[in-house]
Parts: sequence; C-alpha cells; structure tokens
Amino acid sequence: MSFIELKSVVKRYGNNTVLQDVDLNVEKGEIIAIIGRSGSGKSTLLRCINGLEPVQGGEVWVDGVAVHDPSANLRELRARVGIVFQSFNLFPHLTVQRNITLGPMIVKGLPAAEAAALALAALRKVGLAEKIGAYADELSGGQQQRVAIARSLAMSPSLMLFDEITSALDPELVGEVLLVLEEMAREGMTMLLVTHEMSFARRVAHRVVFMHQGKVWEQAPAKEFFAEPKTPELKSFLSAVLH
Amino acid sequence: MSYRFQFRDVFAQKEAIADGVLVTLQLSAVTIGLGFLIGILVAVSLVYGERWLRSLARVYVEVIRNTPLIVQLFLIFFGLPGIGIRLDVMTASLLALTINLGAYTAEIVRAGIESVPKSQIEAGVSLGMTQPQIFRHVVLIPALKNVYPALSSQFVLLMLATSVVSQISAADLFHAGSIIQSRTFRDFEVYTVISVLYLCLTLLMRGGFGLLYHLVFRRK
Amino acid sequence: MIRELALVDVYFLLLALRWTIGLTLLALLGGGAVGLFVAAFGAARNPVLRGVALVYVGTVQGIPLLGWLFIFYFGLSIVGYNLPPLVAATVGFSIYAGAFLGEIWRGALVAIPKTQWEAGLSIGLNYIEQLRHVIIPQAVRMAIAPTVGFVVQLIKNTSLAAVIGFVELTREGQLTTASTFQPFSVYLLVALMYFSLCYPLTQYSRVLERKRRVLH
Repeated sequence: MSFIELKSVVKRYGNNTVLQDVDLNVEKGEIIAIIGRSGSGKSTLLRCINGLEPVQGGEVWVDGVAVHDPSANLRELRARVGIVFQSFNLFPHLTVQRNITLGPMIVKGLPAAEAAALALAALRKVGLAEKIGAYADELSGGQQQRVAIARSLAMSPSLMLFDEITSALDPELVGEVLLVLEEMAREGMTMLLVTHEMSFARRVAHRVVFMHQGKVWEQAPAKEFFAEPKTPELKSFLSAVLH
Repeated sequence: MSYRFQFRDVFAQKEAIADGVLVTLQLSAVTIGLGFLIGILVAVSLVYGERWLRSLARVYVEVIRNTPLIVQLFLIFFGLPGIGIRLDVMTASLLALTINLGAYTAEIVRAGIESVPKSQIEAGVSLGMTQPQIFRHVVLIPALKNVYPALSSQFVLLMLATSVVSQISAADLFHAGSIIQSRTFRDFEVYTVISVLYLCLTLLMRGGFGLLYHLVFRRK
Repeated sequence: MIRELALVDVYFLLLALRWTIGLTLLALLGGGAVGLFVAAFGAARNPVLRGVALVYVGTVQGIPLLGWLFIFYFGLSIVGYNLPPLVAATVGFSIYAGAFLGEIWRGALVAIPKTQWEAGLSIGLNYIEQLRHVIIPQAVRMAIAPTVGFVVQLIKNTSLAAVIGFVELTREGQLTTASTFQPFSVYLLVALMYFSLCYPLTQYSRVLERKRRVLH
C-alpha cells in the first residue's frame, strides 16, 4: 500500500460537493505539489488527509490508518503528520518556545528539557533560534510562518502538509519560507503542498497534481506537467498563471 | 429648609462602619472566588458537554439570570427551612450570592470560549492534542483575556449587589446603616455616607482589576 | 392568623405583578429621559460635557441600587414631603436606569463610524440634520438589543423597591408569606412570575442581538 491512498473520496458541505471521486497515491519521500483555482478543492483535500475534515464517501489511508473511519482515533496519527496553515495559527498567548514545546510535552509526554532542546533544534532549522523567547505578534509574517513550520517539525513528523503557506505573506517574505521547504525536501521529507508558487513547484516537487471541479484532473512529473499539459483546462490555467 | 445635616454623628459610628466594610469585602471575595470557578465549570458544560449536561447547565443559567437576586436569597433563607434545610444568615447569603454569580459568570466565560478562533483549535487538533488539552492550553487563557472587562465589571456589580443580604440581617456594610440609623436617627446622612463608601470600594476594585490585568496578561 | 396558601394569594401576587410592570415602565420613562442627556453629553465633542456624563455614570454605577433607593426615600422626606414609596422608587430607578441606558446609547452613538457623519456633511446636512436623518436611526438599530437586555435587568431590580415598602411582586410575596407561613411555595411562585416576564424578553434580546450582528 502507498504511504497515502485516497480512493474515490467524496466531500460535501451541505449541498455543495467539493471533492468528487478523488483518487490519489503518494509514496514515502515523494514531494507533491497541488495546484488549481480557488474552489477546486485543493485545501479541502489536504484537510481530509489529517482528518480535519470528515469525508462523506470513499477511503483515506495514511500510513496504514483509516482516516475516513469516524470511529478512528486520529490523535496518534496527527502527532506524526505535520500541517502548516495559511494563517500560521500560532498561539498568541505563548512564547515561540512554548508554541513549539507544547506538542512534544503534552502529546508525546517528553520532559521539559528534552522538549526545549527539540524546540531549539527546530528553530535553528528554520533560521530563527534567536527568537525563541518572542511572542507571535512581535514577528513578521514570514517569521511566524517559519515558527509554525518549526512547531510541526518538533513533532518529528513522517509527513508534512502545507496549505498555501505563502499566500498570506508579503512577496519579499516568501523566499525565506521557501528556502526552509527546499531544505526539508532535500532531507527526504514526504511533503504535500497546496501552492500558487509555480516555479517552486516545478523546481522542487516530484509530481504536480491539478485539481479542477473537485477532481484530480491531471497529474504528471513536475517537468512534464508544466512543459506538456495534456488537458485544455490545465492548459488554460497554466497560461493564466504563467503569463 | 429647617433640617440640619448632622454627618458627625454618623462618623462617630466608625466601628460599626468598619465591621460592615469588612464583612462586605469578605463576602465579596469568597463569592467571587467560588462563583468564578462555578462559572468556568458551567461554561465548559455549556460548550463541551453532552446534551443532557448542556441542558442542565442552560436551565441553571436561565433560571438564575431571569429571577431577582433578592427572591433567590429569600427562597434560600426563608423558603428552605420549610423543606427542612435551615441555614444561618451568612451561609444563606454566601450560597445565594455564589449561585447567582456563577450563572452570570458562566455566560460571560462561554462567550469568551466561543470567541477563540476556530483556527486556533485546528492547530491544537493537528498537533494531536485532546479536547481537554486544547481547552487548557489553547482556549482558556485567550478566552479569559477576551472577556476580562466584562468579567471584572460583573465582579464589581456583585460587590454592590451584596448589599441585598442586609435584608436578611447579615452584618454587611448596608446593614450597618440600619444599626447606625437606629442609634442616631440620621437616616439620610447614614445612607449617604454608606453609599459613598460603596463608591470608594468600587473605585478600589476597578483599580485592582486593572492592575491584575497588567500583572497576569501583559508580557514581561 | 395563619391560613392556607390559596388561589386568592396567586391572584394578589398577579395584581402586584402589575405594579412590577408599572414601576419598570416608569423607570424606563424617567431613565430614558435621563439617559438621552447622558448619551448626548457622553458623545459630545465638548470635554466638559463628556466629563459630566462620565462622573454621573461612574457615581451612579458605583453605588448599590439599594443605596440610591434609601437616599431618595429618606432624602425626599427631609425636603418636607411625605410621599408614597412609589415616588422615591421612581426617582431612584430613573437616576439608576438613566446611567445604564445612557452608557448603552452612548456606546451606540459612538459606534457609528465617522464616515457616516462625513457622508451627511457632504450632502449638505447640518449637525442636527445629520443627527436626525443619518446617525440616530442607525444608533437606534444598534442600541435596541442591549436596551431590551437592560429592561430585563430593570424588571429584576424593581424587586428591591420592596425594601422601601413599595408593594410590587416581591413585597406582596413577603406579605403573603407572613399570612400563610409558606415561604418556599410563595417565593417559588414569585420567582416563576418574574421568570415568565423576563425569559421571553431575554430570548427576544438574543434574537435582536443576532440581527444586529448580521447588520454589522
């Protein structure tokens, strides 16, 4: 079985079907970029993978865990799956350090000293070791996003999900975040990125998936995806975003 | 006007006044402490509880908030003996005040909990935290911070409302008024002085809560 | 003479309920009048007027309602009048309600964004006309939910008028208890009657609050 397997996944909000019959396989170590228009279901897809959104049909398997099963206890899986959000979602009343050590200490039961060391290491990885005592509102958007990444990294995840993590950032702050992602990619992390950063996707991703009207419309290895789009919808999407 | 105000007689009753102030402060402090805890418990029941618990909590809150405090007090002090529960003045006062404050606090804290953005909860869920863990580490402090003004106002209101226990002869500041009144016959002056004292207590409490905010919520 | 709690007692309690409602309405009228001034002063550009409103609200809200009732009850008798408790109660409640209503209404006025004033100005309205056609209609919409919420407070507060001898629902409850020696049943009944007045209004104010949030 693949590391992530989505079989005929259906997701509805009331009368609105956001995901129709989605099939997707992801192997360990793969880096997948997911692109598409707003409303195409890309963020929803990501959120179904760690169970933030329940599915109404089909199956979602992550590392052998049946995420689609309503009775499944997803806590243990979530401790291994990191997700970074568009709006960072740092805890405003806690310092950067506490934001990062909270998960390891509360969920994994690590002692304070070990968690603190983990936090420092994670912050070093994202280049923000000196901000360890700061609060979220003292940091720029790019810094907050990097702290959010560090917060997920400190849980030693086997899979990282990124939900348009640079979309809310000022352009000049995007680069520092993408650098961190590139480093993670080099180290072999399995990553799913919903993104608008096409050049980043082409350079770093192994495979790119195009979502359209709630379906996986087209997918291909990165170079081929951008160089030779097969469906007219992807062709017109690419020409619109890559002018 | 042929009346001459005689405040001096009232000021001479310093001890009665001081005793009354002390009782009012003690009553307020204990009520606030207990009522705050009850309020948090009830708020958690309202937001996170099973259906039966939510209904129970909702009934408690609605009944208390839609009936006057003095009636609740009379029911506890005069009414309970009728079914075999006889409480002394202080216990009845404390019970009535605490039950009353708990309901108002619960509504305020509930609003605070619901004001914490869903995205914060999602971040906690995604880290693998349980609901109780998320409440304790992610929700509680931001919730209380958001409703701090409403909470502290409610507590000041409570301190003023303790005056109602004078009606079952509890020895609070307001009751000191009737004692001094019977000694000096200066009705108007007595209650004017006592009212001014309440005003001072209000100002002190407001200042105290302002200071507390800076101590607890402002970063070092 | 002790007698059994009978239907006639319920009848008298209901009659007293009329006085509860009556006192509430009087307090609303008096408090409303005072509140208009407090709101107008509190939202004024003149800092002296604002200061007056601030001192008034701060003082009234810093003294228990019982205190105000007693001050007016004993104060009015000093001034030479031996008036029924209703008068003292009305004056006391009006002063008290005026502060709270004034604060609610001031908040509504102040919440109207400056851009609304500017819009009125730019179509040639003067200050009074701006107030009348642009600001106050919007302020009223904003203020109605918390005002209804305060009416509930008022109804409960009228119970304190019993202490100065005004025969509203709570006082009638005390009198009925004295003659039937059934405090538990009597006060339970009294509570039920207050609840039946207050709860619908509370729900109504919640509906209004939801509507208000949709608007803004």
